[in-house]
Order: sequence, then C-alpha cells, then structure tokens
Amino acid sequence: MACQGLQGGETVASLKRESESLRKKLEEERKKLSDIELNQVAEKIEVLGPLSIKTRRVLKGHGNKVLCMDWCKDKRRLVSSSQDGKVIVWDAFTLNKEHGVALPCTWVMACAYAPSGCAVACGGLDNKCSVFPLSLDKNENLSAKKKSVAMHTNYVSGCTFTSSDMQILTSSGDGTCALWDVESGQLLQSFHGHTADVLSLDLAPSETGNTFVSGGCDKKANIWDMRSGQNIQSFESHESDINCVKYYPSGDAFASASDDATCRFYDLRADREVAVYQKDSVIFGASTVDFSLSGRLLFAGYNDYTINVWDVLKGTRASILFGHENRVSRVRVSPDGTALCSASWDNTLRVSWAAYL
Amino acid sequence: MSNNMAKIADARKTVEQLKLEVNIERMMISKAAAELMAYCEAHAKEDPLVTSVPSSENPFREKKLFCVIL
Repeated sequence: MACQGLQGGETVASLKRESESLRKKLEEERKKLSDIELNQVAEKIEVLGPLSIKTRRVLKGHGNKVLCMDWCKDKRRLVSSSQDGKVIVWDAFTLNKEHGVALPCTWVMACAYAPSGCAVACGGLDNKCSVFPLSLDKNENLSAKKKSVAMHTNYVSGCTFTSSDMQILTSSGDGTCALWDVESGQLLQSFHGHTADVLSLDLAPSETGNTFVSGGCDKKANIWDMRSGQNIQSFESHESDINCVKYYPSGDAFASASDDATCRFYDLRADREVAVYQKDSVIFGASTVDFSLSGRLLFAGYNDYTINVWDVLKGTRASILFGHENRVSRVRVSPDGTALCSASWDNTLRVSWAAYL
Repeated sequence: MSNNMAKIADARKTVEQLKLEVNIERMMISKAAAELMAYCEAHAKEDPLVTSVPSSENPFREKKLFCVIL
C-alpha cells in the first residue's frame, strides 16, 4: 500500500488533466438528454387552483431561535430544537408541551422523531447526536436516559432515523455523513466526498432503496449508497451553500434550497437539474424545502421571513405565506400531507393547513 | 514525499469517482419529466394541500374514541 506511487508516467498534473476531461465529458453526457424542459412538458397539466393555507396554531415556548423540527408519524406530535439548548415535544393540535429536555449545549441544530414515536434524536454544537427515549411518565427526567450515539469532529447539522429506531444517519460540519447503530453507538458507515461542511441530508423514500442525499457548503448535492458508502451521483449547479435537500415523494428526484436565493429540482434518472425556482423579487437565501404529499407543491422557507410555495412542475410561484417575524429555518409537511409546520428564528413554530379544512 | 503521495491518491480517487459518474445510465428529460408529472397526477386527489380531500380529517375535530371491551 505504501508503495502505490507513480504508475506509468502518472503525475498529479496528469491526473488533474484527466479529471478535467472527465468533468467535461460528464457535462456533455448530461446535455445530450435535454430534449425538452420540465415546464414545457408540464404545459399539459392543469394550472393549480387558488391555494389558501392559513396558520392555525402558533407554538410558543422556546426562548431563542427554533432551528429544527420533525413530525411524528402520528401526524399530530412534533419535536423542535432551539438555540436555547432545549428540545420540546409538542402536540401540535392542543399546543400541549408533552416533553422537554435541556441539553448542555446551545444551538441544537438537528432533531428527529423516531419511526416508533417512542424516542427523539438531537444534536448540534456538541458535535454529538443523542437519543432520548420518550417516557409516558411525565415526571421522569429525560436527560437521565440520554444515549450519546454519534460523535463527529465538528457540529452536527442534520440527523434522521433510518427505517427503524435502531440506526441514525447524521451530517456534520466536519464534511462527512455517518450511519450509526443506536444501541451500541458504533459507526456503521461513513460517507466522504464533500469538501466543506455538510448542512443537510434526507433519506430516500423506503420504496426506492438504501440511498440518501446530502448538500453542503461546497455547493454540491451528493447521492450516497448507504451500504457501500459510495457516492453514486453528484450535482453542482448552485452558486452558494446548499442549506437543505429533500427527496421528491417518488424517490426519483430531489429539491435543494440555497443561499443563492434559488431552489432547484434534480431528476436522478436524467442525472441533472430539471428546474430552478427563482424570481427577481426573491433575493434572500432559501434555508429549507419540503414537498406536499403528491410532490406538486414545494414549500421553501427564506431568510426574508417568508415561505414561497412553488409549482414544482410548471416552475411558477403558486403562493407566498407570511407570518413569521424572522428567518424561517425549517418547513415540514405532516406525514398525511394535511398540515405544514414552519420553524423560525422568531422563537416560534407555526402549523398551517388548507382553509377548507 | 508523502505529501505528494497523498495528493496523487486524492487525484486518483477523484478520477475514479468521475469515471463512475460519467458511466451511469441516463434517461432523456422528456421521459423523466413525464414520469414526474404522472406521479403528481396520480397522487393529486390524496394531497390535501392541492385539492379539497373530503376524507381528510379536520385537525380541529376531536378524534372519536370507541369503547373497547377487553
């Protein structure tokens, strides 16, 4: 291994030339597929009816910026985490705070609900991701049952359970993503390839198999094979940090939100960007995206305190939601598609749903 | 000397990675777009934020609980 030096006239310079020509070839291959644009194909589909989404609940309780939230599979509970170091589990309809944990660190940037609904995971500036089982006993001290699972060498920016409560996937400021066994805390697989902080990750919908997407400060979005650790595909079209990535419900595409004020849509089988969601009037960075149940709508939260709702297929803006008094840090559609939760630097979370309900 | 080895190893990894990416099978956008549209259309009726779904639960309403005889 130590003797794997120069092979047949290879130098760093010649390898660099080879990667340059491969990069050009990759671009050419991708261009060959552009026989038509997505929004042109979408001319056939009906225009969306007027969207009326109203905020019905405002969740107050955090003492500082809310950085992350995640829905429980039961469609009414959610977990949120904040710069104040607290993680709160809420019943979104009754506004009841069911659990609260105070972490020793501030900036809890990531939180996730376990598929069983019996635990939550969170992490941030402590460089760790910890799992807390949710007790039915309200008097029980949740902190006592904390289990440290992931250990990174920089902040944890995102975390998600995989198909069960047994494994979690994390993304970190250290430039890597990692898969961990919750019970033992063992590192099962690590994912190297990003050349800067990884800010977000999303697991492919279960039908599509074992892959996930990550996005980061190197402006790249990468698709990974969870078993082999291999980077399968890579997309670099954003002009600034990618703050959030989210799969389209069919698993064949994903969207990204970036500091360059655009959101983009990439098809995995065409292996390229197929739409850019932007407007001259939208000049602030986008921090978060999520799809509606059918994938027709893309909700995107921005640093100008608004949520733009994009028609994914036609590429136009369907609606704009106001209400937050500071940056929107996270938007998530509930598991049955009925509600939208938005978390903000204004210390609140808002739950909204369609006006006819 | 080892720094140069590291650079070569890195450069070689990049070349291998790019080779993998260049050689994957791709689909024409017309076909990929048609499939994305088909998915939207197939699921539009169940999407409460896109169409009024009568069966969607009104989150205001209390869930009806039935007595279960154990």
